[in-house]
Amino acid sequence: MSIAVNFQNVSRHFGQVRAVDGVTLDIEEGEFFAMLGPSGSGKTTCLRLIAGFDQPSTGHIRIFGEIADGLPPYRRNVNTVFQDYALFPHMTVGANVAYGLMIKGMPRAEREQKAREALSLVKLNGFEQRRPSQLSGGQRQRVALARALVNKPRVLLLDEPLGALDLKLREQMQEELRSLHHDLGITFVFVTHDQGEALSMADRVAIFNEGRIVQIGTPSEVYERPHTRFVASFVGSSNVLTPDFAAANGGPRAWTSLRPEKIDVLLPGEIPKTGQAIVSGQVSSLQYQGAVVRVAVNVAGTRLVATVPTGAKTIPDGGTVSLAWDRSSAVVMEPE
Amino acid sequence: MSSSSIPAPIHSSVSDFFYRNSRLLTLLFIVPPLIWIGIVYVGSLFALLLQSFYSLDEFSGLVVHELTLATYGHLFESSNMVIVLRTTVMATIVTIASSIVSFPIAYYAARYAKGGWKALFYLAVMMPLWSSYLVKVYAWKLILAKEGIITWVAEKLHLGFVLETLLSVPVIGGSSLSFSYIGTFLVFVYIWLPYMILPTQAALERVPGSLIEASADLGATPGQSLRTVILPLALPGVIAGSIFTFSLTLGDYIIPQIIGNSRPFIGSTVYALQGTAGDIPLAAAFTVVPIVIMGIYLVIARRLGAFDAL
Repeated sequence: MSIAVNFQNVSRHFGQVRAVDGVTLDIEEGEFFAMLGPSGSGKTTCLRLIAGFDQPSTGHIRIFGEIADGLPPYRRNVNTVFQDYALFPHMTVGANVAYGLMIKGMPRAEREQKAREALSLVKLNGFEQRRPSQLSGGQRQRVALARALVNKPRVLLLDEPLGALDLKLREQMQEELRSLHHDLGITFVFVTHDQGEALSMADRVAIFNEGRIVQIGTPSEVYERPHTRFVASFVGSSNVLTPDFAAANGGPRAWTSLRPEKIDVLLPGEIPKTGQAIVSGQVSSLQYQGAVVRVAVNVAGTRLVATVPTGAKTIPDGGTVSLAWDRSSAVVMEPE
Repeated sequence: MSSSSIPAPIHSSVSDFFYRNSRLLTLLFIVPPLIWIGIVYVGSLFALLLQSFYSLDEFSGLVVHELTLATYGHLFESSNMVIVLRTTVMATIVTIASSIVSFPIAYYAARYAKGGWKALFYLAVMMPLWSSYLVKVYAWKLILAKEGIITWVAEKLHLGFVLETLLSVPVIGGSSLSFSYIGTFLVFVYIWLPYMILPTQAALERVPGSLIEASADLGATPGQSLRTVILPLALPGVIAGSIFTFSLTLGDYIIPQIIGNSRPFIGSTVYALQGTAGDIPLAAAFTVVPIVIMGIYLVIARRLGAFDAL
């Protein structure tokens, strides 16, 4: 596999603000790559640097081995799906999709044919004559996707494309994006602040914080083995155990991440599995979340959260319970 | 016992009444301006139209209050049509020139100017509107005069011959800039420029930056983005501005009298007809001309899709 996008120690400063601060990164060809982070973490700026809307202050970006310094967006074989879709309001849906081909000088009949094909790819057959203003948010999203894909980019950049959609539609689009990626085989670079979205869609995830990449890995790697406290708490929810607490419960003296679903809640009389670490404490809150119940337990001043499948057992609010976990579930993290 | 509603003080009961009867409030707000527009504005326009269907008794010089098309027949005589043509051509050229001069200024203000620079832009564009129109026109007469600064600068730069050549062009030339169509044109463009810049700037301001990025992303060079995205989206603003520059030039009666070769324009003709000549019907018929031209202009603009992006 060749490298689609390579960042070599890239920084982008806006005055005193280091929006992107020394990022080095390889995105492989054909990969579904997610850039995940809170707002202002530099992920969108990185996407804009790939698209060419912005240029690095220092460092170099290579796209398929070719150095992209000073290369304007219209000379790059990448296309973007914008957060606000950025559909041209004065053009029909068909003209929007055919825009890139029109710019390239493709004859009308041919580009209209290609636009129809692209629209059918995103399941919008027969929408050619509509105006963007006549479409729903989800439909606009699909037009934006078709408009980018019709140009057969080698890299497709997606800037929080699902942010404005409601939950149901978002889940449906996630599935469709996955299958589009599978069918087309091109590189997708996907920016999101939604960790669930990143985990469920991407082949690999880069987690951004304060302009830097704090961890890169497959979704299961970053979820199961967070390197830092930031990753542990940003990707899913986690119990971050202090070095003292970890050491007191059979672990090394280091910051440790323990996922709520890895903790068994034991009622008085229940016996833990052999080899498990065990603590006991008082239930301080119960939160019903549909499939699971979140149980917060106060263990001698430390708050631990566990999740229990709904209906598995009745946990008394305010009662005393034991918490048990396999020692291998407690993940030791880097000191920060 | 607790009540779910807060007891109303007496003075707020009026607000409460209008909250429940919001249509009544809307009606109260729009009735006065509606009366103003309906009676004062449209009414007088109608009276004007009616006047154009009367005629002037050539012997007595009195207006004959009988409906006739004779005045319009008079309007279509070649001596009058020359005035209409002259004014329309001038208004067209002034409008085109204003839009060309305004666009870069408006574009800069909309896309690049921030904070203080933007305030400075508004000040620079609006300030000429605060001073008297007559003062500005007379100032231009001095600037354009044979002894004026333009001639002086041209001579200092040894470019006097350029000015001479320009002024020797038939029709648009003349003895000096202030006595030529070129001068009239320059002053019209100067005076109406703010009316073109402001709507163009407002339209450009409404074009999201992401659209320009999107067109670049899809392969359009800056020139192609300008033609295919920015200009079409700014067009409603440019059209709005052109309605000002076009109709204001069509109706103006002062600039052509002060600057230029004293050939009559529609405005100055109306002024002369209703004043010294006392031919109110023909003056009214002349006034209908810009209304008809503007109507045609708007229909064409609409057909060309100028308002599609609204």
